Parts: sequence; C-alpha cells; structure tokens
Amino acid sequence: MSLLWLRVAALLYGIAALAVLPAALYSRPRWRHIAVPAALAGAFFHFVSIAETFYAAHRALPVDTHETLSMLGLLLAAAFLLLAARYRTMSFGIFLLPVAVLLTIVPAFRPGHETIAYPFVGTIWLFLHVALLLAAYAALFLSLIASLLYLIQERLLKQKRASQQPTWLPPLETTDQIALKSLLFGLPCMTAGLLIGSAIALQTIGPTFFADPKVLLSFAMWVAYMLMIFIRRHSGLRGRRAVYLSSFVFLVVLAVWAANQLSVVHRFKAP
Amino acid sequence: MSELKKNSGSLLLLGVNHTTAPLDVRERLAIPVSRLADATRTLAHQPGVREALILSTCNRVELLTVQDDVVAAAVPPMGMLRFLHDYLNLPANEIEPHVYEFREREAIRHLFRVASSLDSMVVGEPQILGQVKESWTVAREVGAVKSTLDPLLQRAFSVAKKVRTETQIGSSTVSIASVAAELARKIFGSLSGKTVLIVGAGKMSDLAARHLIQQGATTLLVSNRTEARAEKIADSLRTPAITTGVIPFDQLHEQSHRADIVITSTGAGHVFTPAHARALLHRRRNRPIFFIDIAVPRDVAPEINNLEGCFVYDMDDLQQVAAQNQAVRSREAEAAESIVSREVERYGERLAQAPATEAIKQLLLDAETLRQQELARTAQRLSPQPLTPEQLAAIDALTKSLTAKLLHPQIAALREAANTPEPDE
Repeated sequence: MSLLWLRVAALLYGIAALAVLPAALYSRPRWRHIAVPAALAGAFFHFVSIAETFYAAHRALPVDTHETLSMLGLLLAAAFLLLAARYRTMSFGIFLLPVAVLLTIVPAFRPGHETIAYPFVGTIWLFLHVALLLAAYAALFLSLIASLLYLIQERLLKQKRASQQPTWLPPLETTDQIALKSLLFGLPCMTAGLLIGSAIALQTIGPTFFADPKVLLSFAMWVAYMLMIFIRRHSGLRGRRAVYLSSFVFLVVLAVWAANQLSVVHRFKAP
Repeated sequence: MSELKKNSGSLLLLGVNHTTAPLDVRERLAIPVSRLADATRTLAHQPGVREALILSTCNRVELLTVQDDVVAAAVPPMGMLRFLHDYLNLPANEIEPHVYEFREREAIRHLFRVASSLDSMVVGEPQILGQVKESWTVAREVGAVKSTLDPLLQRAFSVAKKVRTETQIGSSTVSIASVAAELARKIFGSLSGKTVLIVGAGKMSDLAARHLIQQGATTLLVSNRTEARAEKIADSLRTPAITTGVIPFDQLHEQSHRADIVITSTGAGHVFTPAHARALLHRRRNRPIFFIDIAVPRDVAPEINNLEGCFVYDMDDLQQVAAQNQAVRSREAEAAESIVSREVERYGERLAQAPATEAIKQLLLDAETLRQQELARTAQRLSPQPLTPEQLAAIDALTKSLTAKLLHPQIAALREAANTPEPDE
C-alpha cells in the first residue's frame, strides 16, 4: 500500500509542478489554487507512504538510496509549501517541484533493493542523523536556487528592459533572505547530523570510521558550508559570487553523495 | 435591451469624462465627496427617477439612473438635465455638448468598462474601482440603489476583479514616479522600513519621494546645497509615521550609505562616481542600493550600474520602462474588452431570464402547496386505517414525481419564452 501512496504523491507533485508554471511565469493566480493544494496533498500522501513503510518494517529510517531520495523529495516539497505560505511566491516551485517529482517517481516505480545492517537501525539517533543531513541538503539546494534567482533578477534589473522583466521573480531582498535563512537553517542540521553520525560510528566501528573517504568528504562539506555562511554574513556576499560559492558547496555535497560508492563502512549494500 | 423595461424601468447613464469635456467643465461639474450623499439623494428624488448613483472623480462625472420608461424616453433626458441645472447651477446648454449618454445594454457596458479601468485616462489604474465602490456605498446609504442598480454594481465589481485577475492590465506602472517605486519594490520587496535620500530640490524628486513613502518607506533624508531648502523639504514631507532628516551637502558621501534609495536631481554633473559608489557599498556591506537619477545632466555616473548591488535608472531609463509598460497595458486592454463584452451578454441574459425565473418559482410554490393539501386530505380520509410510514413515503414520492412531470412542459415553455427576443428587437 505504501507504494500506492508514493505513486499518488508523485502524481500530485507532477500536477503541482505543471500548475506552478502558469501561476508563476504568466501571473495566473488561479493556477496557484491548483499548485498549492496538489503539493500539499502530495506531501501528505508522501508522508503516509514513508510512515507506513517504516511502520511495516519496524524501523525509523530509510535503508536504501531510493528511500533516502524519497525523503529528500518530501523535504523539498515541504520547502516549497513553506515558501509559498511565508513569502507568497510560486517561483521556487518551478525548480523544487520537478526535483521532488523526480526524487519520488524513481522509488515509486523502482523500489530499491539495497539495505543497511547497523545495530542502531531501530533507534531514533540514526533516524536523526539521516533526517538532519537530508534537511541540510534540502536547505543548501534551496539556497542555491535562491542565489540563482537573485542573479537572474539582478541581471534583468541592470539591463533595464521592462518588457523582459518577468513578474514571477521575487524581489532581490526576498531571495537574498531566503538564501541566507535556508543556509542558517541548514548549518545546525548538518552539524548535529554529522555529530550524531560520528558518535554512532565511534560506538559501532571505532576510529577507523574516520579514515573512510565518504566520512572525510562529509567533514570537508561541513567546513565548506561553514565557510560559505561566514563569507556571506561577513562581507554580505550576493549575486554572481554567491552563486559560485553555493554551487561549489553543492558540488561538494554531490561528491559526498557519490562517495557512497567508494565507502567501505558507510554505504547501502545489496541484500 | 428591453429586459429592464419589462419590470424595472430603463437604465440611463449621462456623463462627461476627460475625453469629452475640458478640465474647466469637469471642475464645474465635480461633486466633492462631502456633498455626494446629498447630491445622490437629490437626483434619486427627481421625477421619474427610481434609482440613482453619482460617480464623481477628477476625470469624470457620471449620473447612472433607473427611470420610468416615459421619462427615460425623453431626448435629452429631462430629469437628469434638470438635476444638473438645479443642483450645480449650470445651464444645461453649456454642458450638453460635452455630455455622453448610454442607455440599457450600452449603459451596462460603459459601467463595466469604467469599473474595469478601461475608460480611464491611464488605462488599468486601480483607483477607479475604489471610487465606484465609494459612490455605491454612498448611494446605498441614502437608499438610492435598489433592486436594479444594486446587483448591476455588484456585477460591475466582479467584472473588474475578473479583468484584473485574468489580464495583466494593472500589472505594470506607467508614470515615472510609479515606475521608480515599482523598480524599488523589485529590489527591496516591501519598502517598509526603507530609507529614501533626496539629493537636490526638485518637483519631480519630491513627487518620486512621496510615491515611495506611499509605498511604505519610513525614513526620508534630504541633502541640498542650500540647507534651509533641504530643511523645508524635510518639513513638508514629515508626518507622524515618517522620520525625516537633513544631511549637510558636504557630508553627502559619508552619510549616503544610510539610504536604500537615492533620488538625485541636482543637475550638477557626477555627484556620485564609481569610487563613491564602491565606498558606499562597502559601508553597506554590499546591501543593494537604488539610484534614481532624474537630473539632466546626470548626477550618477552610469558606470555605477555595472557594480554589483548598485542599480542606476536615469530619466531616459524610467521613461523607456513607462513606455514599454504602456504598450503592455494596451495589449492587455484588448483582452479585457473581450471579457467585458462577454460579461455584458451574460448579464443581459440573466436579466432576460429574471421574470421567467420568478414565474417558475411561483408555479412550483403553488404546485407544492396544492400537493401538500391533497396529501393532508388523503391522510385524513384514511385516518381509520392509517398508512405505514413506508406507504406514506411512497405516496409522497409518487405525488412529487407526478407534479414535476406535469409542470415540466410549462416550465420549459416559460424558459423558452424568456430566451426568445421580442418582435421589436
């Protein structure tokens, strides 16, 4: 049944992703009344699907890549809903919702067969480790999109062509706030997620865990994340350079994700 | 349209606007808000006038009335001309050349166009809808709008809303001051809490500053070579909600980082150079700053626009944006006209159906009363051997079905008759 709910969620995200286009790009507010409820319903069914999966398996965390991606999709959909409610903007949906669809549609139609076998699988700590890190990734992705939107709006304003200035872009100050706030939200999530993961690893694997490439890259990612926030706050970095910086950190995150394949101790395994 | 004539009089609209009358005529016809209630009441009490509404703005004065058929048939409409003559003390022949007149369907169309801002001097401006609503509120308070004008005006409001939401007629601004405010909103979002700095004294900069204050800016700084003049401008713009201050002209570069929006109009050449702007950005920790340069020659070096975080719009840029926005509005106005035409048709059909709807309602009510009476009589007749609840329900369903089937041809005929145009149309 959980797969059915996940498929329903994917379909609803798809509807929301399509409806958000006229709502944002062509200033058609009626479509907003389809996009937001569809995304909300999608997030609800997505949550039900995840909860049902965990309940049936007597565990509280995703155990394969697809489940992890699915959780990330739910977080991105939630981020869209949060922004729509707080800033009344649909613009972020243009980017967030298609990614949410993609992250949901893959596990909905091709469930993963990998698994992990840690002694802490049933505990809240491992769940927190995964959930907090996923929240940090979602926050970083959101910050990257906000920085990109800032850059586009800035360019258009500087070119001074009114006919080319789309109405769907949020004001510069709003996108800047979203970019910074999402980073500030992501930092404690990432820090706590890494600390919890390290504590668990120390107990189960021992100090050798810290020689693993994925683990090392994760700490490099945290340093890059910290550095980015420091630079942004200290010098008020915006525009093109902010996009470069966010893109760099995002690439590090992708590298951390990809390092799953290189890791000996931190990876999903085929059963 | 004879729909109105059938039961509720004739709709007649008389008025002057910016296209038909010069300003001095409009000035003499204008009715201030303080006198609007009295004027509406007086118009509504004219012989033959059943309902009335007066719309008086700086660009138009319009009298919308529902009149008895005989009175309305007069050309020119005597009741309304008498009102203008008596109330405003204006000879009818002086204003008659400027007056336009719309009757029935055309009056509805005109009202919908006015409320949707398609008849405004600046097409798409949002104030007119509020002014129509204000007139309607006043007319309701004095009991001058009733069964005909009340639903018509409410329909006009929803048509105007539809035009706003389904087209982009009001999405772009067309005056220099409002373009500047719109651009500021694209940079800062809400202008609440933002600081505006006026450099130099000029009518245009004053106007732009007022516009920005209207949009939410809360602090206003003024810098001028003559400090007394700066003080005077600051005083004129100070309100309980607005904090104002003066920056001595020789400290302009040291203190201009306090402002989010700088309006310059000194015409003294490059008051702000790229070096100044870089220092300013550094002090602002790269927070964006918006220069509105309305001076000729320009006060702000155009290269400043290349700096990240600085946005420079001079007079030409603002005028160009305004012209482009005007073109967008004209395109959207065509779509809006189609919506209005569709809505006029729809309203006409609704009016045409109204008498038939009333007759159908009455027919159904009479039939139901008769059915209930017959049911009661039958129940009484069978009282020695009362029916079970199931039997009663079956009889109830049977009689309902019979009544509906018997009435169906009559209802269909009434509906058809309402949709058939009269021979004189």
